[in-house]
Amino acid sequence: MKRRQLLIAAIGLAAAPVAMAQSFSGKTVTIIVGYKPGGGYDATARLLARHLPKHIPGKPTVIVQNMPGANSVIAANHVYNVAKPDGLTIATFNRNLPIAQLTGVEGVKYDITKFAWIGSAANESTILAIRTDLPYKTFEELRKAKEPVVIGSTGPGANTHDFPLLLKDLVGLNFKIVSGYSSSADIMLAVERKEVDGRAGSFTSLRPFIDRGVVRPIVRARSTEPGIDKLPVDESFAPNPRAKAIMALRSAPELVARPYVMPPKTPADIVKMMRDAFARTIDDPELVAEGKKSKMDLEFTPGDQAQRILTDVMNQPKDLVAEFAKYIKFGE
Amino acid sequence: MLEALWEGLLLVLQWKAFGFMLLGIGLGFWVGLLPGLGGATTLALMLPFIYTMQPVEAFAFLLGMHAVVATTGDITSVLFGVPGEATSAATVVDGYAMTKNGEAGRALGAALASSLVGAVVGAVALAAAIPVVRPLVLTFGSPELFMLAIVGLAFIASLSAQGTRGMLRGFLAGGLGLLLATVGQDPQAGVARFTFDTLYLWQGLDLVPVLVGIFAIPEIIDLFVRGNSISGNAPPGNVANGAWQGVKDTYRHFWLTIRCSLIGTFIGVMPGLGGSVAQWMAYGHAVQSAKTPEERERFGRGDVRGVLGPGAANNSKEGGSLIPTVAFGVPGSTAMAILLGGFLLLGLVPGPDMLTKHLAVTYSMVWTIVLANVITVAVCFLFLDRMASVTEVKGHRLIPAILVLVFIGSYTSNSHYGDLLVTLVFGGVGYLMVRAGWPRSPFVLGLVLGKIAENYLYISVARYEAAWLTRPVVLVLIAVAVAVILYPFLQARRSRSRA
Repeated sequence: MKRRQLLIAAIGLAAAPVAMAQSFSGKTVTIIVGYKPGGGYDATARLLARHLPKHIPGKPTVIVQNMPGANSVIAANHVYNVAKPDGLTIATFNRNLPIAQLTGVEGVKYDITKFAWIGSAANESTILAIRTDLPYKTFEELRKAKEPVVIGSTGPGANTHDFPLLLKDLVGLNFKIVSGYSSSADIMLAVERKEVDGRAGSFTSLRPFIDRGVVRPIVRARSTEPGIDKLPVDESFAPNPRAKAIMALRSAPELVARPYVMPPKTPADIVKMMRDAFARTIDDPELVAEGKKSKMDLEFTPGDQAQRILTDVMNQPKDLVAEFAKYIKFGE
Repeated sequence: MLEALWEGLLLVLQWKAFGFMLLGIGLGFWVGLLPGLGGATTLALMLPFIYTMQPVEAFAFLLGMHAVVATTGDITSVLFGVPGEATSAATVVDGYAMTKNGEAGRALGAALASSLVGAVVGAVALAAAIPVVRPLVLTFGSPELFMLAIVGLAFIASLSAQGTRGMLRGFLAGGLGLLLATVGQDPQAGVARFTFDTLYLWQGLDLVPVLVGIFAIPEIIDLFVRGNSISGNAPPGNVANGAWQGVKDTYRHFWLTIRCSLIGTFIGVMPGLGGSVAQWMAYGHAVQSAKTPEERERFGRGDVRGVLGPGAANNSKEGGSLIPTVAFGVPGSTAMAILLGGFLLLGLVPGPDMLTKHLAVTYSMVWTIVLANVITVAVCFLFLDRMASVTEVKGHRLIPAILVLVFIGSYTSNSHYGDLLVTLVFGGVGYLMVRAGWPRSPFVLGLVLGKIAENYLYISVARYEAAWLTRPVVLVLIAVAVAVILYPFLQARRSRSRA
């Protein structure tokens, strides 16, 4: 008798997720990307879309749809206000959207903390790298630079710009930031022709040039990954707690670098199911192998954790936000 | 080196690589024909398919596809006046005018033959430039790139009608283009300019909806008002058998085609200038080749040289833009940026290694560009005359189909209704410009070059202050820009004194 009950319970448990997600069989899940095809956000979404179906009960079709514009505010607004909370619409967008909301950017029609968060598919580690033919090998040497060190950037709102800007304005590094390059690759070329002395950017994009000995990494932001964990962190050079808080605020979104959300009020069981599916997909050996080939290291941060990080960002005191907004503008 | 060149050819001719190349060509053919759906987008969509391929197969597939997009894009431009790609808009100006004159076959023949010449020149340039590519690219810093943009803008002088009034209109239209290029968030202070509080305009005006609107809509209205077929006003007879004539034109103006190919390659090599610039500079140069004012008047009304120039340039630039991608890992265009992703995927690291250790692979890319274009052009010629006869279809049957192409084409750029509004607004602007006799090419040139000029000027001044003006290449380019502006005036005076 007891055994039979147990058996029924076991069957019940095993069947539960299937029953819950029955609706997904034969359906199509759409991942909306806030950018045009070709970039990192798009590539990550397409990689996930290829492997997600195996891990979602009912094996739905997963497609990617691009909804570019306004640094992906348009996509976020759409998913927040228009898309149905039925688990069939997932969005991935600019990691800096919390900054847009925080600094009161016109046109923002979402509350980042109220999305149904699946989580983040990867972290982003921002570093600053300087040409190897320059005499600066460490942060301390760079700090003592007599000549201005020219840093190329794509423009406000990008990590190529904001990271060195805070080092310059808050830590007092002798930087001259030159912005307007069309892409980080474009800055890299300027580094090669010695028009600029270095650039900031994601470790992933700088890595080939570090390996080739063109540039040398000097300092990183809080978020890290193997290979750069020994670099000093920008916050450790902050002259006061306020400066440190501003730096921390800038780098917070990098811990949620590939955000994946569903519309607000998506039922909790669907959210849980999707979080599990993402966690399993990102660990899927086939995906890991593909990711390795295309130099995409995925790492899952579950939705509740992502939400906690971003709620913390949103709850900063007003005066700190006001000062933050003086340095950092939303972009890219 | 010759050995690597030969080895590269053998690599492409392996049956598997060749098969994938044919597949790529087939895809690229349609992508080019359909307006809006661009080469870059398609490359991004196809990237996942190369995981299991060998490097040579993968590049045969991707490059084969990409190399023919510009070629078939010209076909749509010529037949319907709808730019098939952002990079084939300049072909519309004289190509579609020829179509209206009943010379669709000839225009198509010229576009394809010049595309082939362009592709070969671009590939040869790529092959020849490999030993010297690094110093060449590194000579061009931000000040030099800014001056190249200015040289591009100087071509407005040739793209405008003659006389003071024509020049004035040309430069005003160019100024309007420059002004509209500033729409969107600026990259220095992060300020939103002319966005009227809409999110859509935040990242600036997208080129495709503007181009499609300003070129296609006025022609559709014109076709509707005329009430007959596209080539309806022309004497019937030779619409469908001029393709060979177009090929002969290409050889009659062989050196012009070569020069325009070289312009395309050069612009392609310069990262950050973008593919849409090359065609317009080539068109401007084609106009310069007119020897008398009467000859010059014919441009815009169907001069075959106006097709040859951009047709050659928009293909030769592909070989050119591969150069910085391969040699530095710095892509020369969006499409190349995606291709770069393909490199990494296959475990190839772009950079100096590609010029030494993997030289054969690099040369296999050169061969792919050439072979893909030879095959496409050959296949197109089989159907060319039949394609041309579309222009004899009555307007009321054709207009709905063209309109669908136009709006789907513009909508694919952002999938936003704003794309459609932009197309309509610029359609209106284009119609007014045509009616009032204002040239549209300078406007587009201003729009295409505006952002480049602004950013590189800012960088030059921020980095070098006034010292950038004394760099030798900058001085040379200033002289070139002045020469380009003065050329039409000198020409006019010379022909007057001759008369």
